[in-house]
Amino acid sequence: MKNLLRYIIGRTLLTVPMLFVLLSIVFVVVRVMPGDPVSAMLGGHAPEKVIEQKKQELGLNRPLIVQYGSYLLQICRLDLGDSMILKQTVMSTLRDKLPATVELTFFAMLICMLVGVPLGAYAADKRRSAQDYGIRLYGIVIYCIPVYWLGLMLQMILGVWLDIFPIAGRTSARIFSSTFDRTGLYVLDTILAGNVEALGDVLIHLVLPCVTLGLVLSGIFIRLTRANMLDVLKADYILAAEARGIHHRRLVYKHALLNAFVPILTMMGLQVAILMAGAVLTETTFSWPGMGRLLLERIYLRDYPTIQGVIVVFAIIVALISLVVDVIYAFIDPRLRY
Amino acid sequence: MQHSPTTALGQVIRRFTRMGKQYGVEWWILVAGAIVIVGVVSMAMFAPVIAPYNPYDQETGPQLAPPGSEHLMGTDNLQRDVLSRIIFGARTILGVAILAAILSSILGISMGLISGYAGGGFDKVFSLMMDSIYSFPGLILAIAFAAMLEPGVTNISIAVAVIYIPTYFRLVRGQTLTIKQELYVEAARAIGAPGSTIMSKYIFPNVIATTAVVFTMNVADAIMTEAALTFLGLGLPPSVVDWGMDLAMGKKFLPSGQWWLITFPGAMISLLAVGFTMLGEGLSEILNPRLLEK
Amino acid sequence: MKSLKLLFICLMAVGLAFCASSSFAKDTIVYGTTEKVTDMDPSNAYDFHTWEIFYNVYQGLYGYPAGKTNLVPNLAEKYEVVDGGKGYVFTLRSGVKFSDGSAFDANVVKWTIDRVTRLKGDPSWLDTDFVDSVEVVDKNKVKFILKNPVAYFPSLVATPPYYPVSPNVYPADKIIKDPTELTGGKLVGLGPYQVASFKRDQEVILEANPHFYGPKPKNDVVVIRYFADATTMRLALEKGEIDFAFKSFNPSDINDLQKSDKIQTIKGQGPYIRYICFQCKTAPFTNNIVRQGVAAAVNRPEIIKKVFLGQNAPLYSMVPAGMWTHEESFKKAFGDGNIQKSKELLAKAGYNANNKLKFDFWYTPSHYGDTEVDMAAVLKAQFEATGVMEVTVKSAEWATYKDNWRNQVMPVYLLGWYPDYLDPDNYTAAFAGTEGSKGNGIFFSDPKWDAMFVDEQKDPNEKNREAIFKKVQEMWTVEVPTVPVFQGSLYVFAQKNMKGIMISPTLQLNYGPISKGK
Repeated sequence: MKNLLRYIIGRTLLTVPMLFVLLSIVFVVVRVMPGDPVSAMLGGHAPEKVIEQKKQELGLNRPLIVQYGSYLLQICRLDLGDSMILKQTVMSTLRDKLPATVELTFFAMLICMLVGVPLGAYAADKRRSAQDYGIRLYGIVIYCIPVYWLGLMLQMILGVWLDIFPIAGRTSARIFSSTFDRTGLYVLDTILAGNVEALGDVLIHLVLPCVTLGLVLSGIFIRLTRANMLDVLKADYILAAEARGIHHRRLVYKHALLNAFVPILTMMGLQVAILMAGAVLTETTFSWPGMGRLLLERIYLRDYPTIQGVIVVFAIIVALISLVVDVIYAFIDPRLRY
Repeated sequence: MQHSPTTALGQVIRRFTRMGKQYGVEWWILVAGAIVIVGVVSMAMFAPVIAPYNPYDQETGPQLAPPGSEHLMGTDNLQRDVLSRIIFGARTILGVAILAAILSSILGISMGLISGYAGGGFDKVFSLMMDSIYSFPGLILAIAFAAMLEPGVTNISIAVAVIYIPTYFRLVRGQTLTIKQELYVEAARAIGAPGSTIMSKYIFPNVIATTAVVFTMNVADAIMTEAALTFLGLGLPPSVVDWGMDLAMGKKFLPSGQWWLITFPGAMISLLAVGFTMLGEGLSEILNPRLLEK
Repeated sequence: MKSLKLLFICLMAVGLAFCASSSFAKDTIVYGTTEKVTDMDPSNAYDFHTWEIFYNVYQGLYGYPAGKTNLVPNLAEKYEVVDGGKGYVFTLRSGVKFSDGSAFDANVVKWTIDRVTRLKGDPSWLDTDFVDSVEVVDKNKVKFILKNPVAYFPSLVATPPYYPVSPNVYPADKIIKDPTELTGGKLVGLGPYQVASFKRDQEVILEANPHFYGPKPKNDVVVIRYFADATTMRLALEKGEIDFAFKSFNPSDINDLQKSDKIQTIKGQGPYIRYICFQCKTAPFTNNIVRQGVAAAVNRPEIIKKVFLGQNAPLYSMVPAGMWTHEESFKKAFGDGNIQKSKELLAKAGYNANNKLKFDFWYTPSHYGDTEVDMAAVLKAQFEATGVMEVTVKSAEWATYKDNWRNQVMPVYLLGWYPDYLDPDNYTAAFAGTEGSKGNGIFFSDPKWDAMFVDEQKDPNEKNREAIFKKVQEMWTVEVPTVPVFQGSLYVFAQKNMKGIMISPTLQLNYGPISKGK
């Protein structure tokens, strides 16, 4: 136990420099971007004097090192500053948009696992058979389909021609999110508010985006599950169980899968990065009001603070999840607690 | 001895089948991938010859014509031939993806070698930097870079390359650390071989096999990233013919029923990425066979 | 798997155990748009969508009735012109209250204008360029003292920066963005609606203002739904998810929706114009012959067909069609795609097939919609069809674009214009007057032109102004600081049963008269 604790502390401390590196990269990239946000912000009629004054106000005239220093200090105070373009604190913008992305990625991950894990297990079980190759082929192809293309197709087929699902947004126009919005996670909020109609509406709006993203990512999960399952199925205890006469299907799907599940779960943590990247594209396709869409819009507007804020939040999420994953791994496998 | 084309082809097929028997289905996966790649590459190389029209020509036929005998893939709203744009678009996407992969591999491998071999604080710092970039969503970083640089082929390649450097770095560094311990490396050091020789003559050749697999997967991923970036309007100017951009421009015509504008670019992107992935999968199975597989 | 099913059933049971959802008995209209709200502050917002919300949530001293272009009294009952045109005394309507019950009077007007002047927001020039100071004459009379006589001052007063805001609610020294930043957290105005809920980029909900002095709106609630792109909005409209949609649609969507039986089309003549600008201080565009030569090659009908699938109208003058004094001067001078004339003119400046006129042609990819890419591509082809021009197309996002024109980086570039006020002055002086031209990156300057602009601004006589504007349009084809390309039509698409949607060249959309028929 003491070892574990030491590991946890050590690992947590490691997160700090990792974040630091990412934040620095973000700062450099964003500052180097061409285009003056101040003149964009102030409009075509602003005289030079006013632009200079605004730049002074925002501290853009200070040497880069000074700006960098104050940027780091601000982060430590969890003050992400004010959006340059639209007088609003970055924090409030992020607080608005983050839950949408969280909801999307959560359910997408759910679908991804529901599709990927069973298929991967089945493929491992029937290795080197036609089913195995078929599933692996599906896995490769689905991952190579651009997520925005699949999204468009599903929108047209399921959303428009068959008219089963809505094609955009988190709620219908006639469901007012303000009546139940509390955390921003609408599924949770509608349950808490007891609003069944809204819950149904929110869930049905989640279908297409999450299925799109989940399906595309299931390709990776199939591969991962299959690889892990193959390793597990080779193990001695599986052979022993089989010798004892345990029914084959139970063997594979209960014993082997459960044993393979932990590395799969931890690998899921590492897939969060890909999930978030996919979310950016999915949000654009489905008009989903999340962080991905926010990032793109603010890049066009050269809104430095918001762009930085979004990337910082992504970085923190990634760092946290990888921390949790590593700790779980260490908990399970004592060899890793060096 | 006279070798007619048919005998040569027959020999190739026989060779292939023998390999297939030896390596199993994986070999055919590799071959399938290679065929796709060769096909698309040839299409790109011979573009001016095989394309029926100039991809920029705005007078090739009726506006928004569906696929037909005159225009196998239809025309777009500026009366340009879609098939020609697909053929020329292959040049862009292949160019960017391969250039990006080459850049990442050169930088990643060399940094991995040096860092792994040198060890110590230098290694720790580099590993930290690389781990940070590796764990971060690649596309988002690529978006930030692409937005920062002026649109152009070199710049988008740089934006895409940056996110794969850590992959090579980690792989090569890991292997370097292991190989570093080997006896023959110690021996080389004992006779006074300089670090650069050790890295290039001893370590690098051992690493190359796995790197090759990573390279093909890298290209596949780079294809997807490039398409995503141009779809979002970043990275390339519209004067370049590109599948991702055509997809973005074409999607607004989908509800009007003009499906050919996005179907073909989307299918090509998928096909090319699948091709490289299959090549990679096949290669990895063959180079690192699962010896215990029944 | 079984456990998941169980969990789901439990969730459903819990949900059902609670009371049923609330239903909306009120008359609700849902309106979709791809535009964005900027700052909910009339002193700084300078985009038409936010101004549209203001038309419905605030009122001006004078305003336009729905669908019309003539000014009528709103918060003011009448005005008097004094001091030889330099003073305007407005008599205010009495008994008007804000939606929080506080009174509206001349002091509020003065406070508002002073605040606009102080905060120096984007549209503040509509005030500061013209108004010297504001005086409270008595509780119901307020006097605007102008720097110079301005013939069209009442139309300026009808713009949102002049809309009176409550001093109890708006901060004196800060531009606010969301209504939540206001004192009390709610937006308090004088218009037919008040803001019930505000979720940026998602939805804004307006409900009828019980304190409004004018006629009650025909609906109770208006929900404005924000879409990320036009295609999704079009599909949402077709599926019935929204009642009507305005700005912006793809040309293909407009064509399809016009043909649809389920959707009604409401078309208005927009005062929105698109044009090509020349950087008049950069060679070779310092030479007006060169500018003429480029202008002659523009083929408007072709652009409209290829890029806009037939919507929008070709524009032959900076003063748009439908506006008083409009003349088709460019058509008379150059026609369309006049390759012959273009070559002749450029030859005079020394350009021919061996010595091509090479230049960078810029556009901005998203600010004006994504048809820009195509428009630039078509124009490039048109220029190069002359055989004596070589064009490199470049683009920059709006932020960089504005930077570029300020720094004179772009020799030839595309721009668009929505008028601030409906007067030919806003379409001409803004581009060819020395100050305006510099502000738009054109840097055209000619004292003769400036003198004419000063004259027309001061002269209240319509006939004289008309003569000046006609002359200016003619001179435009000689000096060519800009080349008008097309004029935008406005489209609102609605479900067949919607009534009362009126759009006018003022771009003002009033939600009050809109109702859902049976």
